[in-house]
Amino acid sequence: MWEFFIRSLDASTIFTIAALGELIGQRSGILNVGIEGVMLFGATLGFITAKTTGSYLLGFLVGIAVGGLIGLLHGFFSITLGGDQVVSGMGIWILGFGLTTYIGSPYTGPLGMERIPTILGLSPFFFVAIALTVIIWFILSRTSLGLSIRSVGENPEVAEVSGISVAKTRYLCVVGGGMLMGFAGAIYSLDYNPVWNYNFLLGRGFIALALVFFSMWNPFILLGGSILFGTLWQLSLNPQLILPGLMSRYIWRTVPFAITLGALLLMSTKWFRTKWGAATPEALGQPYVKD
Amino acid sequence: MRIGSHELNLERRVSLSGWQAAGISILAIIVALAIFSIIFILAEINPLTAYAEIFSYAFANPFGLPLTMNRFIFILLCTYAFIIPFTAGLWNIGMAGQLYAGSLAVYAVLLALGVKEFQSVELPATLVILMMLIAAMLGGAFIGGIAGFLKGKYNVNEIVVTMMLNFMTFWVVSFFIKEGGIFMNPGGRGESFELPPSLQPSLIFGVPFTIFIALGAALLLYFVLRKTKIGYEIRAYGENPTAAAYAGISNFSIPLLVFIMGGALAGLAGYHYFAAVPGVYKIARTYGYFGDLAFYGIICGLISRGNPLAAIPVAFLFGGLSIGARFVQGKLGMSFGVDFALLGVLMITLVAFQFFYRYKLIWENSRGEP
Repeated sequence: MWEFFIRSLDASTIFTIAALGELIGQRSGILNVGIEGVMLFGATLGFITAKTTGSYLLGFLVGIAVGGLIGLLHGFFSITLGGDQVVSGMGIWILGFGLTTYIGSPYTGPLGMERIPTILGLSPFFFVAIALTVIIWFILSRTSLGLSIRSVGENPEVAEVSGISVAKTRYLCVVGGGMLMGFAGAIYSLDYNPVWNYNFLLGRGFIALALVFFSMWNPFILLGGSILFGTLWQLSLNPQLILPGLMSRYIWRTVPFAITLGALLLMSTKWFRTKWGAATPEALGQPYVKD
Repeated sequence: MRIGSHELNLERRVSLSGWQAAGISILAIIVALAIFSIIFILAEINPLTAYAEIFSYAFANPFGLPLTMNRFIFILLCTYAFIIPFTAGLWNIGMAGQLYAGSLAVYAVLLALGVKEFQSVELPATLVILMMLIAAMLGGAFIGGIAGFLKGKYNVNEIVVTMMLNFMTFWVVSFFIKEGGIFMNPGGRGESFELPPSLQPSLIFGVPFTIFIALGAALLLYFVLRKTKIGYEIRAYGENPTAAAYAGISNFSIPLLVFIMGGALAGLAGYHYFAAVPGVYKIARTYGYFGDLAFYGIICGLISRGNPLAAIPVAFLFGGLSIGARFVQGKLGMSFGVDFALLGVLMITLVAFQFFYRYKLIWENSRGEP
């Protein structure tokens, strides 16, 4: 039971870090629906690097750097070219899915390195995720940089007039966000489940996307939601731990997705929106062209 | 940007004709194939040899061409499943889930008729095949309809919903065909029971009748989306849902309708691959692979810019490319996933080329100007 709880927190780490990356981008007005693709890139290239060099550090650095580069690509399409952000995000997801399938397949199988040591049984990255949550909350709500990011996401015209560079701020956020997504992917393939397999994330990136909507763009609610989804995910993988014999294991696998649908539905109702005043960044998804 | 005496400028397009769009799309495909050469070069294969193999196998080989044709029908149906919601400004990335549900519905009909038990049917084959087609459409429409309903009624993000439904139906298929599921083939390893020969549709040059459905759907959709009142309403909703609402167009029924229509066509793609294509005739153990292939429908829909007729040549080309890429992977000893890598490169190149739908490059000789 304790082990199950630990494993759930480890699973939530991946959701938290990836979703924080998306949250930063969305706060600045850039939607990236291709989180899964960025994570696949970070996970696959991080895995290959660690496997060939034998160094975890290099693996993580490559994962983070690749995530940042893909974030930069998304920024280029959506900020510089002013294209449709959903089209670009979809492109990044399909590119990530397609290319990592090909690049990673010669490395199919376990990583074969000594496991990363745990702290109190937990992956050290769980603590990193909590620290990142606090840091990002602090930056967004207590610093002038955070104010710039939020104003760019709410009303880019006004932000530009008050002397904030919309393009620079948004680039900073999508690249930083991409690095976090790449990092989350690398945590999956190097620590959580160090085995490379084709398309192994199985929708975690899309759940992270849903989590950002669910969090109402608040890092602490996001952390809470991640722990909830981490537990659900883990439960769906090992239902026998809690409820032996109830429902086929295949039906259990649908549960996290079904709950995501339920949560999204609840949040989209008028009742919820008026009660909690979901603070969607006003300019989310809209390209900004300087006159 | 200045290069020598010439200046390269960007100009916003005022309008874009169909032929200009087609030109940009063709250029995007050529550039994508050029970029993809890097993959071959890295694998120490001459890209020209590789492309020669791909095209000759896919389009001029007696074994390859029927495979291409069958893949073409599948991608074309998936493309429509994307295009119809896309015309309304909505993203259906749930073709995989919709086609799984369609296939499950097909096999549910067969189970109900006792096919699994007796390996035969009493009813005339034509009638049963018709029932299978209707079931496929209903199954796909049901899953699509969930996304449309949630979008229309509660404005839930349809990208997340359709993706969640993909994963859910994926596992539901496993539930039905594996580990004692009701569709499980008693002798098989995690696949559904097989279609009896009497229900396997006859083939014309290796291609089942579904090609007529796919091509007929192109004409029908072209007509419906461009020439009818409902088509106009779908397009108006796609331009601006709020303005459409003022004009009396329902913000509930349009999303529901487009997802039901799209889902039904994706369901037919499921019938096509799991009950009509020679050599399969069951829900295969690797059904997830076919679900992933459905994403070609997204690229195809984007590159044909939502035009059902333009989608025909694009789907044919992509069908051939995916079959050919899988073939060279085996023949030239490349690692798994060449066809998916190609899918990714085509997609991202296309995203970059979206820019040229809105802007054009102009070379100006700036010498002599003040």
